[in-house]
Amino acid sequence: MRQRRTLDRRTLLSGTVAAAGAATVAGCGQIFAEAEIKEPDPSHTRFVMTVWGGEPDREAYQARVDLAQEQFPEYEIVLQLIPDANYAQKVQTMISSDTGPDIMQVAEDINVYSSRAQLVPLDEMIAEAGIDMERTFGDVREGYVFEGSTYGIPDRSGAAILYYNRDLFDDKGIEYPTGDWDWETFLAAATELTEGKEQFGFGGASWWPLWFSLIEQNGGHVVDPDTGLPQINSEEAVDALQWAQDLFFAHEVAPSEVDLSNMGPDMGPDGAFEQGLIAMNSTGFWAIGSLAEGDLNWDVAPFFRGREQAVSAFGSALTIPRSARNSRGSFEIIQFLTGVEGQGPIASRGQDVPANIDVQTSDTFLDPEWMDEDVDLEVFPNSADMISSRQFIPEWNQMQNTITDATATFWLGQRNAREMADDLQERLEAFIGPSSS
Amino acid sequence: MTITSSAPAGTDAPSRRGAPRPTRQRMTQHRRKEALLFYLFISPWVIGFLAFMAGPMLFSIYLSFTEWDTFTPPRWIGLENYTTLLFDDPVFRKVMFNTFFYSLISVPLGMGVSLFLANLLNKKIVLRKFFRTLVYLPHLIPLVAVALIFQMVLAPEAGPLNQMLSWVGITGPNWLMDPAWVKPALILMSLWQAGGGTILLLAGMNGIPKEFYEAAEIDGASGLQQFWTITFPQLTPVIFFNLIMGIIASFQVFAQVFILTEGGPDNASQMAVPMLFDEAFVFYNMGYGSAIAWILFVVIMVFTAIAFSTSGRWVFYETEVRR
Repeated sequence: MRQRRTLDRRTLLSGTVAAAGAATVAGCGQIFAEAEIKEPDPSHTRFVMTVWGGEPDREAYQARVDLAQEQFPEYEIVLQLIPDANYAQKVQTMISSDTGPDIMQVAEDINVYSSRAQLVPLDEMIAEAGIDMERTFGDVREGYVFEGSTYGIPDRSGAAILYYNRDLFDDKGIEYPTGDWDWETFLAAATELTEGKEQFGFGGASWWPLWFSLIEQNGGHVVDPDTGLPQINSEEAVDALQWAQDLFFAHEVAPSEVDLSNMGPDMGPDGAFEQGLIAMNSTGFWAIGSLAEGDLNWDVAPFFRGREQAVSAFGSALTIPRSARNSRGSFEIIQFLTGVEGQGPIASRGQDVPANIDVQTSDTFLDPEWMDEDVDLEVFPNSADMISSRQFIPEWNQMQNTITDATATFWLGQRNAREMADDLQERLEAFIGPSSS
Repeated sequence: MTITSSAPAGTDAPSRRGAPRPTRQRMTQHRRKEALLFYLFISPWVIGFLAFMAGPMLFSIYLSFTEWDTFTPPRWIGLENYTTLLFDDPVFRKVMFNTFFYSLISVPLGMGVSLFLANLLNKKIVLRKFFRTLVYLPHLIPLVAVALIFQMVLAPEAGPLNQMLSWVGITGPNWLMDPAWVKPALILMSLWQAGGGTILLLAGMNGIPKEFYEAAEIDGASGLQQFWTITFPQLTPVIFFNLIMGIIASFQVFAQVFILTEGGPDNASQMAVPMLFDEAFVFYNMGYGSAIAWILFVVIMVFTAIAFSTSGRWVFYETEVRR
């Protein structure tokens, strides 16, 4: 009798677990269905918009959403701000469960989604709305085109620029940098501005957007813009990489990882520049906010040039995921947010560089109320033509991870550019495909 | 039988027949009430387990045999994920080596340090409570803060650890940047939090009857002999508990790696769970990630089973002796 009771409990337990499994499978039934873009439902008037960032981003986006809300009183627009680190996972889960947002911010990983048919192609709606993409956004728009279709409207976009410490330049009697500086001029100034391990001329170019820029400046590519296949071990790319590495270990004008870690925990070139330990540093717009609040005497200039002018841009676009119930309505809102009025708060609140060229060249952005310092913000529109067009391949995240792995010891000076580039090329080819060259 | 046969005369038959019943009835009611309370209190966990763990766990077995990017329907590929992981993925081999290295060194070392500290803190010394608090304190600090502290401690030249090493003429390594030293750095960090095990061992030590030590002293046993013949055997159940928990936790190490090194340099500190996370949620290879999870599950089960199967030889349960 007792044995039978035990058996029953076991049966009950395994049955319950099996039922839970079956319920999960049933609940996940959505994943067995082929994803389809929904027909626009005009009766759907509640739009969820997902973006990433911190509190200043929330304020800027909310100000823009409020403007859009005034423009479209029949719609309810809900802003959902997700912390940067969790953004991709969160939207991945939302889209997978068919509860994705109606408007979604994306960046370099746009084609992770578009290549899997998770975004609505926008060409038809762009044509109907009569948006001149080239005139409104310049070359930045090309980053959001995949296999001939546009999947995102540029929203924020600013080139990497060169921040410099005026006082350190004045002390050495060196003229401030300009966009005409080439590698030699730059290196000469950086050498002059370096004082052993106490002060460095440059923050270094070990961050991918910077050495990607150097490769482009030298006539090479990390990924072939036409085929999307890796080309990291071309002569042009290897020479540029070696030049970037030499800044750390041959010329010693930039602090290595070891030098930075000796400066303090979590210390990077941006922090070291803010502390006056570095004379020049290259990064995006976001450094301006904290520098404007500090005491440093600083300004900005375009990133220096190589054989060609080329620089990476940082930005994001607004897209419509396939889960959107009313893609027409989503597009109307996106059109407004990326238009002159909708982009205004990005500039007036100093959140970022607006992608819309008209706003980027307006006084709202160039002479903002929040900026007391005499800083030349025209550097951003002036750098727009230098921005190199890039193909954001569908394997972008995996490529970034592989690059981090393969370059780790290279940036510590433990192997040269040729060895690293050949190794990296092999690793990239393993999942992207072999280069045709 | 004895009860019914010895029932006093004149007792009516039904009550005789039913004599044991009221007792059983009361017991059953009591047990039922107890069982009801048991199910009531355990139900949140059971429901949570079934809804959020058992189902997804079973589902992940299926996923491990598929290629699924979480956006498009899964594609059945049989054992391909497993064969690729086991025979054709150099990163996974490196990651499993790292995980074994970390577990097989950090667990015994951590247990040894815990035991050593517990033995020291069990002695009647001045400020004993203060030292006990001090040893347990690192265990209470959030891992993010610990990681930041260790970034400073392990800094190549300016870090206090390498500074101390330089006092005795040793040039300390680039702990977090040198592929050869990054795993020992993580192990060092895990040792700093050995206070959790120490507290359990101290509790175990307090439970050892003082008579054992008195008898040993009368017999002339030294301190070391007392430790090995009384303290250690009496503590083996706690040590065993620490071992099992240590094995499970160390094979699942995640936050330290994620915060401190992100698996670098060049996967030298990458562990199984961070790799699983990357595959499933960064590269959108959910099937591949699920296969890693199940391989890791089997590994942990094997090590736990080994620990359990050998426990009879070295774990001493007083209750078993009494029985």
